[in-house]
Amino acid sequence: MESLVWGYVYPNEAEIQWSILIVLYPYITGLVAGAFIASSLYHVFGNKEIKPVARFALLTALAFLCVAMLPLLAHLGNPLRGIEIMFTPHLTSAMSGFGYIFSFYFIVVVLEVWLAFRVDIVKTALNSRGWKELLYSALALFSYDISEKALEADEKLGKKLAIIGIPSAAFLHGYVGFIFGGIKANPWWSTPLMPIIFLMSAIVSGIALLILLYLIVIKIKKYPLNYNTLYSLAHYLWIFLIVDVVLELLEIISMKYEALEEIEIIEHLLAEKIAFTFYGIQLTMGALIPFILLLLVGVMKNRDKLKVVMVTISSVFIVIGVFAMRWNVVIGGQEISKSLAGTLTYEPVFFGQEGVLLAIIILILPLIILRVITYILPPWKDMIEENEEAVVSSE
Amino acid sequence: MQPHLKKAFTLLAIIIIAFIFVRSIAVPDSFGEYGWYRGDSVNELRNQPVEHAGSQACSDVDCHKTLYSIWSESRHKTVNCETCHGPAEKHVSNVRIMPEPANDSRDFCGLCHYKRVARPGEFPQIDPVTHGENLRCAYCHNPHKPWFV
Repeated sequence: MESLVWGYVYPNEAEIQWSILIVLYPYITGLVAGAFIASSLYHVFGNKEIKPVARFALLTALAFLCVAMLPLLAHLGNPLRGIEIMFTPHLTSAMSGFGYIFSFYFIVVVLEVWLAFRVDIVKTALNSRGWKELLYSALALFSYDISEKALEADEKLGKKLAIIGIPSAAFLHGYVGFIFGGIKANPWWSTPLMPIIFLMSAIVSGIALLILLYLIVIKIKKYPLNYNTLYSLAHYLWIFLIVDVVLELLEIISMKYEALEEIEIIEHLLAEKIAFTFYGIQLTMGALIPFILLLLVGVMKNRDKLKVVMVTISSVFIVIGVFAMRWNVVIGGQEISKSLAGTLTYEPVFFGQEGVLLAIIILILPLIILRVITYILPPWKDMIEENEEAVVSSE
Repeated sequence: MQPHLKKAFTLLAIIIIAFIFVRSIAVPDSFGEYGWYRGDSVNELRNQPVEHAGSQACSDVDCHKTLYSIWSESRHKTVNCETCHGPAEKHVSNVRIMPEPANDSRDFCGLCHYKRVARPGEFPQIDPVTHGENLRCAYCHNPHKPWFV
């Protein structure tokens, strides 16, 4: 055990309490917020190029939202206790605030998905028999009105919801950053920049995930790839990546320039404890390489195949890089002692309640949920229709 | 408002009302009576049987006076009798009821005396692997008067 500890640490710090599951929690929440904001690029800001993946992005957000609380509940040990912060919320409890924001956002996303798919649901309900009819009728709430007037009302409400949705998505994830940023005892966390850094990296990871899922769907379903959509997403990815990295670097630079009393331990943390995951994965692999690749994608003409490969590599790197960012915040913050004179080491276990295996299962679960949701509410026709239009217009 | 939207919002209202209903059942009535906890728990805790008597109770002239005076001047004076000997309230009120035998296992002493990096350097600490050949600590050390080997 001694080799895991350096310098002077307090006795109650010897065990790192927030494990890999707490790394997953902001990561998954971030993917939700990112995917939702990607879909609102079309739903609110009317970017037509995003349309083929807009509804798919909504479903992705919903699928990940379903499991966003799971890491916390598993970490809690007694999952049934989780609801108690909702039953007796305290004004000073950041977590109970999150419970309410999460629930509100969940309602907004479900309503928005319902409105986006209502026409499809009603049509399927009317055209099928047996259990399928029952399922879709229930999803349509036994209202089959898809007249123009009804759809107009849907659209109006959808717009309103999306306008509420963006701030609540931003709030949801900014809040996760606030939960860390508000801990004044920990110099690595305690900065007002934390919510906005979390939010930006959330958008980045969400768009990157959406690109990857889109490419996978295209591969599996053998649809023609819509290059406009892909490049448009890549363009947004690039812009948000720049903002994200600038903020992350600003935080470090201002910490180093201010050189408050905690700077020594933070420099030790960066040099000894999380050097590889911070400089190597988060900054080089997760930011620098994708930045250059996406810049080239924006500049290069033709050579679509190469550009697709470059976008794919960037997205994979960004998804991994943002995970490393969460790791560096959550684990890194606990690896420095509150004494500011020592460090600890987190050793992940594979099995068990806080193990890597459980983390992998929780990370795969939303993909399975997404498969089920897309089976019930297929968003695929957007991808084909739009593409045909694009092909026709280019001819 | 369109009827399907009305239904959707009714469903939402039902869910919220159901939450409030479940909450009203699940949250104990006395919650918040004194603070952010169940008020009844104060009485429940107060009514729990007393198990510990306190070290002072052992010092009676007719009881363990000698051992008490040795212990109370030793370096272990901050470790209460019942820390090792277990709860003694029953024994104090009726001497025929004997308390559990004292816990003298190596791991128990080790809670304080196994080597830990976070402990002050001058605090007596041992490496359980190399020290004492797996004998019970009390075999060499007198727990009532350390360092009296």
